[in-house]
Amino acid sequence: MPGILIVEDDKELREMLKISLIRHKYTVLEAADGKEAITHFKPSITDLVITDLIMPDEDGLKVIMRLREIKPSLKIIAISGGGKAGPGSYLNLAKALGANVIFPKPFSINDLLAKIEQLLTDEQHL
Amino acid sequence: MIFPKQLKTNPDMNENDDFMRFPEVEKEISDHIINSSRSMISIISRNYIYQKVNSAFCNAHGVRPDSIVGKSLSDVWGNNTFESAIKSKIDLCFSGKTVQYEAPFSTPQNGERFFEVTLRPILSKTDSIPYIVAETLDINEQVQLKQQAIAKEEEFRKLETNLPVGFLRCDPEGKILHANKAFLRIMDCNDEFSITNSNLKSFYPEEGLFEMHLQQLIDCNTKALGRVNLKNCKGKEIPCRLSGYLAVNELEQPVFIDLAVEDSSRELMLEDRLLQAQKLETIGSLAGGIAHDFNNILATISGYAEMLKEDLQHDPELSERVSKIEGAVSKARSITSQILTFSRQVEQEKVQVSVSEVLAETVGFVKSSVPPNISIKYDLPLKEAYVLADPTQLFRVFLNLMTNAIQAMEETGGTLSVNMEVVRGKFVRHELNKDIVADEYVLLTFKDTGLGMEPSLISRIFEPFFTTREVGKGTGLGLSVIHGIIKEMEGEILVSSKKEQGSVFYVYLPVSKKYPDYSGKSYRKKRILFIAGNQYESRILSLALENKGYELIYISDQNHLIRILTNENDPPDLVVYMSDSKQIQQGDIVLIYSRLKIITPLILITDSNRELLEEKLVNSGIIKQQLIKPVSLKEIGNAIQALLK
Repeated sequence: MPGILIVEDDKELREMLKISLIRHKYTVLEAADGKEAITHFKPSITDLVITDLIMPDEDGLKVIMRLREIKPSLKIIAISGGGKAGPGSYLNLAKALGANVIFPKPFSINDLLAKIEQLLTDEQHL
Repeated sequence: MIFPKQLKTNPDMNENDDFMRFPEVEKEISDHIINSSRSMISIISRNYIYQKVNSAFCNAHGVRPDSIVGKSLSDVWGNNTFESAIKSKIDLCFSGKTVQYEAPFSTPQNGERFFEVTLRPILSKTDSIPYIVAETLDINEQVQLKQQAIAKEEEFRKLETNLPVGFLRCDPEGKILHANKAFLRIMDCNDEFSITNSNLKSFYPEEGLFEMHLQQLIDCNTKALGRVNLKNCKGKEIPCRLSGYLAVNELEQPVFIDLAVEDSSRELMLEDRLLQAQKLETIGSLAGGIAHDFNNILATISGYAEMLKEDLQHDPELSERVSKIEGAVSKARSITSQILTFSRQVEQEKVQVSVSEVLAETVGFVKSSVPPNISIKYDLPLKEAYVLADPTQLFRVFLNLMTNAIQAMEETGGTLSVNMEVVRGKFVRHELNKDIVADEYVLLTFKDTGLGMEPSLISRIFEPFFTTREVGKGTGLGLSVIHGIIKEMEGEILVSSKKEQGSVFYVYLPVSKKYPDYSGKSYRKKRILFIAGNQYESRILSLALENKGYELIYISDQNHLIRILTNENDPPDLVVYMSDSKQIQQGDIVLIYSRLKIITPLILITDSNRELLEEKLVNSGIIKQQLIKPVSLKEIGNAIQALLK
């Protein structure tokens, strides 16, 4: 099954995403912040990353840049509850840096699952 | 030789003195006196001829005595000067009067100078006046000094008149001796007389404060007395900055007090405004942070709720309860999104938009539902102006301000006046006291004749969750969100209000001079089939999309829709469907799409409560994107871009 890494500093939200993804038969990896995600990244078993953007230590933007460097084919979904860096919002920066999809929090988990499925099937077609 | 009468009667010159009996000695002495005088002295006969002149006269004119003596005054001074300035005075003197005057004369040596001229008649023994003595003293320096003093005084007077500082002098008891125009202006008094006859104490609203100021000045002659409220002639308290000077006599007793009075209302107002802005900034970052954390929590709740709903598909009762959770999450989401707008953490998609167009649309919408006891006055602006904004947000701003105004007049009735004008940046800089970002601004005024507000309320209305409405009615986020939107547009919103008289909101938006240029781009505009819903909201949304550069197609009925969707030559790139459309029902859309196998991407825009049919629509895969109202241009723009890629 495709492997999905969840990078989220909010424990409850991470837990919820994990349960939901496991229900849909995905293999789930977890990281509690950006630093952990970057240092423990396993490119061979990770097909998609869901990352929060505003986190302590390394933020989500750094995660997107670093992981994309390590594995260019990686699918990335950025999720954020708001916040602005300079003139643009974090989510738009994330998109500019290479996130495939962005989701503002709170999002519908079903919409997220639909997007994940779409991104991973695109992968198979390629 | 005959002496002037004055000499004859001079008590110091006794007729019986010895030397008077010797005419030669007498002549010699008098010549000596005359010639050693610094005044120019001449003796003039009745026919205006110089009979005698002294050395000072000759020196001043650079001539010898014999070239003057025997000549007429008109020859020496010129006929015009003689006729206009000299003759009448000499005639007067010959009538027996001593004449004294000051006048400028041009002298060959020193140019034009001021002289003091004294003409004295010389009486003969028969009391006729055959001669007069003209004594001319050079007073040029004195005159110049005097003129300089007058000019200086004039400069000071100007300073006192032109500066917006009130100056006044009063005695130690407070009786006003003198006050300048600025003081009258500050005190809103047009009667100078009544001020100079009043007591300064009557302008102090607190008893004993004048005495306190006097004591401070006694302790220290010159002193800034700080800011105090003074009561003006109309009884209104004006915040004033005072500084004073106390003059004392040699016994150290107070003689008078000079006061400088500055109106510090504007200073105070600007300080207040700065404080408000800082406060809102602080609340903003605080609330923004909370909203961010809150969104995490909401995402968790809604995620579990969605999972539960799947698990409980076969239990309608429990499923219904989960829907309630989802409904609550949706409400909370709307609040956090508004807080993020207030704290300016939501990026706005800005396009060039005509302010009057959005304003007219809003006025039209509000008019359709306004109670009969309230009238709306709106004159079309004389000048069109464009700003960079999200039209849907601008609409929200106008709608909110107008709705508030109408609510304030609900019971009493009244008039809402909406006005739009274009003002110069210079004016805005003065009004707002801050740097400006454009040469011109649009100034929108929303004025109601409603309940008005207490000053203590005015300073708080832009705070989030602050509301004057009863608990449970509205979240109190409205004006704070409006504030955030306007700030994000680099604009400003100000308010002035009087209890029982009404409120005025002023919105300043920087005018955008750049016009979007699509002509240079060769590609075809993306075409959007727009199935409009609720009149005003979809009008604004379509306006926003058109301004963003899309070509919009509207339909008249279902057949028209089918014709366009099935047209193979020139199909639309995308369909935007507002779920409250009266033209096309939701069921029909599903039918048309599934039966005709339409593949054009469809964006659904719905109200926050998802209805069952919509759920089905989304799940069927026909709907590619669903957006919940109110939809910002940013949201719909992102959705369109994602689908058209």
